[in-house]
Amino acid sequence: MKVSKLILPMVFGLLFSGLAIAQTAEYTLDGKIFGMPEAEVFTEDYDGPPVVGEYVTMLPNLKPLDYEGNKHHEVRIDIIVQEIEVAEGVRYQAWTFGGTVPGPVLHVREGDRVTFYMKNRSDEEVTITEPSKGGSPFMKQVAENPYQKNKSAIMPMPHSMDFHAGTVAKDDKWRTIGPGETIKFDWIANYPGSYIYHCGTPSVLMHTSMGQHGVVVVTPKEGYNTGYEVDHEYVIVQSEYYLTKGSGDLYTYDFEAAFSNNPSHVVFNGHQTILHDQPLKANAGERVRFHVSNNGPSGTSSFHVIGGIFDRVWLEGHPFNEMRGMQTVLLGASNSATIDMIIPEEGKYVLVDHEFVDAEKGATGTLKAGPKKN
Amino acid sequence: MRLLKNIVTLTMLLMMWASNLLPAQGVLQTKQVLVPAGSFHAVLPEVAGEPIQVDSFYMNETVVTNEQFAEFLKTNPSWRRSEIPPVFTNKGYLREWKSDLEPNYEDVGTNRPVTRVSWFAANAYCDAQGGRLPTLNEWEYSAQLLGITDKAAMDKFSSSLISWYSGIDAQNLAEVGTTGIVTTKGVKDQFGLVMEWVEDFKPIIADELSLDCGTVGRMNTLNSLYNYAASIRYITRMSFNPKITTGMVGFRCAYDKSVDTFQNEHGETL
Repeated sequence: MKVSKLILPMVFGLLFSGLAIAQTAEYTLDGKIFGMPEAEVFTEDYDGPPVVGEYVTMLPNLKPLDYEGNKHHEVRIDIIVQEIEVAEGVRYQAWTFGGTVPGPVLHVREGDRVTFYMKNRSDEEVTITEPSKGGSPFMKQVAENPYQKNKSAIMPMPHSMDFHAGTVAKDDKWRTIGPGETIKFDWIANYPGSYIYHCGTPSVLMHTSMGQHGVVVVTPKEGYNTGYEVDHEYVIVQSEYYLTKGSGDLYTYDFEAAFSNNPSHVVFNGHQTILHDQPLKANAGERVRFHVSNNGPSGTSSFHVIGGIFDRVWLEGHPFNEMRGMQTVLLGASNSATIDMIIPEEGKYVLVDHEFVDAEKGATGTLKAGPKKN
Repeated sequence: MRLLKNIVTLTMLLMMWASNLLPAQGVLQTKQVLVPAGSFHAVLPEVAGEPIQVDSFYMNETVVTNEQFAEFLKTNPSWRRSEIPPVFTNKGYLREWKSDLEPNYEDVGTNRPVTRVSWFAANAYCDAQGGRLPTLNEWEYSAQLLGITDKAAMDKFSSSLISWYSGIDAQNLAEVGTTGIVTTKGVKDQFGLVMEWVEDFKPIIADELSLDCGTVGRMNTLNSLYNYAASIRYITRMSFNPKITTGMVGFRCAYDKSVDTFQNEHGETL
């Protein structure tokens, strides 16, 4: 039988390829916990909401941590394909975490454990614009405000998840899974700050350009040492699209543009005008905290707010990395900053990537300040 | 971790052997094309400077259609949707079909590639035709016989190929033979229609490559766009397991030159 020809060399191959690498047992170093159980890959009948978890929201929202100490989160972010709008008249079939680009925001506290489930549902139609039961705040928010005008679609591909907030062996936890498969793994938010997550399946340039990225915000155990409370917290993600008109009405991935660092759109929160159509809100005299992440995939961001100076900036969101009085924060691909700013007076403030080529490709937004309250 | 993966691979091989024990009988075939012996440079690590040698073989001109697969199921009930043992497929096997033997022509049209078949089912089909799945190297060797010699033209072709990998429209597949992409030997649609199962789609090296952001770069030492596209194809294929059934993966069969049933050396239909 033909097959036997194949089996013999492959069995030898197996014998020579090393039979056991033990899973590192859990241990603690510098107060941080390492050594997570081995990831599990399996198939399941799950067809519920693609995003599950109490502290998972849609941009620019961040769910406040209304619990004391540490918590063990169960979070699901499934991979689904959605036709989305990224600018007026520009729609494409995005590869997404949870249905939007960027994906949902996960909020945890430093030291929290996350048990993460992700089903690759790229080969099934999943609707996220209708109310669902048992989902996350994200599901409710996107159903009420589907600003990317999401429509379900199918484009089966293998995918994976790489949480920059996690410290694990990538060949185990960040494994690629095929359509119909589910992966489950644990990680611990050992370091405070804002961290991107993205698909790590090659071509990473293609997978991330197609929309597979998002942010985890890890609030420091002791908070930021400021002596004040902020009045508003917003999450801002900058990212690039590389799109070209396809044969029909839809746009498609433009490999040449992506390979030559020439995005068609550079945007905040996944849509060219969303932060103008739906401005962020605050009042004069208030303090606003921005969690800003540049998810790339390839560009930098020189984040600035017209009319403001950043009172305090924590690079990567780590409380030890404090800077004061910055006009602009430079973020490389997958860098982040937590920024506190005082809103000086009633009026309009424009968030901008001060690399003006990016601003004029869409990387701007509005913060609308109301009158000063007493 | 490694041990578990090896057990899985071993189990897969045993099942592959077992799957060939299910009775299977042949049906009408597609035109077979002779692909003469030759060599090519693959994107997987090879002996430096040594191209991969491929013996001559025959391969179907086009991928297997829903009609052909339905014919196969008529005489091979154990591979029908209601009968196929769960060890040989994930859920979703022939999901879009109306019933065990009726492809959904109203929605998909006729003469379309059969998709949502596991690697095991693809094997059984080809076995029933007196053939087999093409090997990874056979398929890749054939695919690059495009006859494009101009570098600019090849780059343009490769760019569109890369974009195609990011946008395979699994719900609106074209008829087989209509992509206009034909090798110099006459094999059609190796690009532009569906991705295809090959016999050894997950070579042992897949583990060592540890698929990540660096893999594309490591596979592309020649800085060729064709190799860039190929690396995406290799990586995507290596990421599958043999039970997977997806709307973007179909298959075609290959035949050893020496197969007795093969009557005409010039590639005529049986």
